[in-house]
Amino acid sequence: MLLPDYYEFCCRVKIVAGHDALEKIPDLLIERGAKKPLVITDKGVAGAGLIDIVSRALGDRVQADLIADDVPPDSDLRVVNRLARLYRDNACDAIIAVGGGSVMDTAKGINIVVSENAEDLMAFSGVGALKRPLKPLVAVPTTAGTGSEVTQVAVIKDHEKHLKMAFGSYFLLPDISILDSRMTLTMPPFITAMTGMDAMSHAVEAYYCLQKNPLSDAHALSAVGMIYRHLPLVVKNPDDREGRLAMAVAACLAGIAFSNSMVGLVHNLGHATGSVCGVPHGLCMAILLPYGLEYNLHKMADVMAELLLPMAGEQVYLATPAEQRAQKVVSLIRGLNEDLHAITGGRHARCLQEIKDREGKPSVPRDVLPQIAAAALLDGASIYNPEDTDYEDNLMVLEAAWEGKPLDRSRVKKG
Amino acid sequence: MSIIKDVQSGKKPLKRAYVAIFLWFTGRAIQAAAKVDSEVKKEFEKLPEDFTFSLGCLPCGPWMVVGREKGVVKYLGGDSRGRPVQVRLAIKSLDAGFLILSFQESTALATARNRLITDGEIPQALAIIRILDIVEVYLLPKLIASLAVKRYPSWWSFGRKLGGRIGVYTRTLLGI
Repeated sequence: MLLPDYYEFCCRVKIVAGHDALEKIPDLLIERGAKKPLVITDKGVAGAGLIDIVSRALGDRVQADLIADDVPPDSDLRVVNRLARLYRDNACDAIIAVGGGSVMDTAKGINIVVSENAEDLMAFSGVGALKRPLKPLVAVPTTAGTGSEVTQVAVIKDHEKHLKMAFGSYFLLPDISILDSRMTLTMPPFITAMTGMDAMSHAVEAYYCLQKNPLSDAHALSAVGMIYRHLPLVVKNPDDREGRLAMAVAACLAGIAFSNSMVGLVHNLGHATGSVCGVPHGLCMAILLPYGLEYNLHKMADVMAELLLPMAGEQVYLATPAEQRAQKVVSLIRGLNEDLHAITGGRHARCLQEIKDREGKPSVPRDVLPQIAAAALLDGASIYNPEDTDYEDNLMVLEAAWEGKPLDRSRVKKG
Repeated sequence: MSIIKDVQSGKKPLKRAYVAIFLWFTGRAIQAAAKVDSEVKKEFEKLPEDFTFSLGCLPCGPWMVVGREKGVVKYLGGDSRGRPVQVRLAIKSLDAGFLILSFQESTALATARNRLITDGEIPQALAIIRILDIVEVYLLPKLIASLAVKRYPSWWSFGRKLGGRIGVYTRTLLGI
């Protein structure tokens, strides 16, 4: 295990996990002096009946009847300001965010506005602008993937000015995260598959990228083992409550790992593919993960080899020659993608050319790969990747991922 | 009652001098590389017309300021006062600055270890890091440059390396 000269690690989130974890929320809010939370969610979550479960669990010990269920798929400044007014007008004293990344980001944005009594959210953008604790925020994730219930960042879009504002502060960490198996039980298999692979990409990249440290490593290793074991089972059997809880916990572990060690090429290319083609983030992560490993293998083979133990167990680890372990990890991840493809009846794409939109048209035509390769040069994740990347490197990886062929590692430029 | 004395931080004149000279030389070398190397030229062309960035050590310098003036890249000295700076790359302390600028730690590793703080647009900061990497390859022998950058560009042609090095050094020393 590598011991860096210096590193930072922070996760001061109270995490409650279980099949009935939601029922703990009233106690935790009362402990923090809050009795009237604003519940924030989106139409999809509300439509799936998850808010009813949350409301029943909250009971009448706190007054949680104010529910805003119109958070859009992309966080939006106007929505943040409108819901902040709703919070103030109703004298709320806490926020419960039930949903995925957009709901969490919106909740964090509202919390800045109401806690700082701010008119202009922009004044708090960037890193370190917040100087004091915010109002109590309870995060209830409804997917097992993003890890945003334990991350210290938020991205809010100003659609009028076409601006994307990023906020980073330890004060943005939710106070409480609730991992309850009921929240993911109804998630369709193909969404379970890609969000699970999103969590896998967080854990794996956290384990081999430049900011890795012993504390993030511990979280990443646990997450990798749990996801590899439980993800195919949960996709095959969506009603598996134990598996659902295991995946929620694994995604949380992976979130803690990557928010303290950052991510690299896989997210770098994934963000660019998402912004150019609008394809789901988790699917990009699933496809690109083996390529990120292959691209960095010549620099981090020993570190990547350690992932084989939690994935395949002691017998396989010992039976695999040390110099082949990293390559074996790549094969197992490719195999996992193949399994998920088979279980979901082909909906889980294995390569970029297999991603289709709702009309069945290819979402990532081959001729946009140069555009994606160029867009990736603007993304900060590249800084934490062990090997350097330029436009040609990005394009080479994207072409291999588009075709679904293993990366020709002899073409990777080495210093 | 015990007497409490304020502890003054050491001035570290040698480290400060090394960092100041390195930043002065690198600033002039960036100005030179923008004329000599097509990749550096392209990176600057993608940045705004009046773009300025600074690199230096917290809390009290030294600093290096480089900017575009009517499209021409210029080293603007060590003081950014009176000029808006779009990207500020701040090294946490003079000691950390010495660590990075004496090539004991690459820029990427320094960022990963929270020693280099970026204030400004990330895409522009990434462009500056790419420019700094190229300039370091021109200024330093391979053995040392390999420590400063993530990947030494061994695929560059001999002509680019030699011609670029002569051009960058000549222009840096003459300040043109």
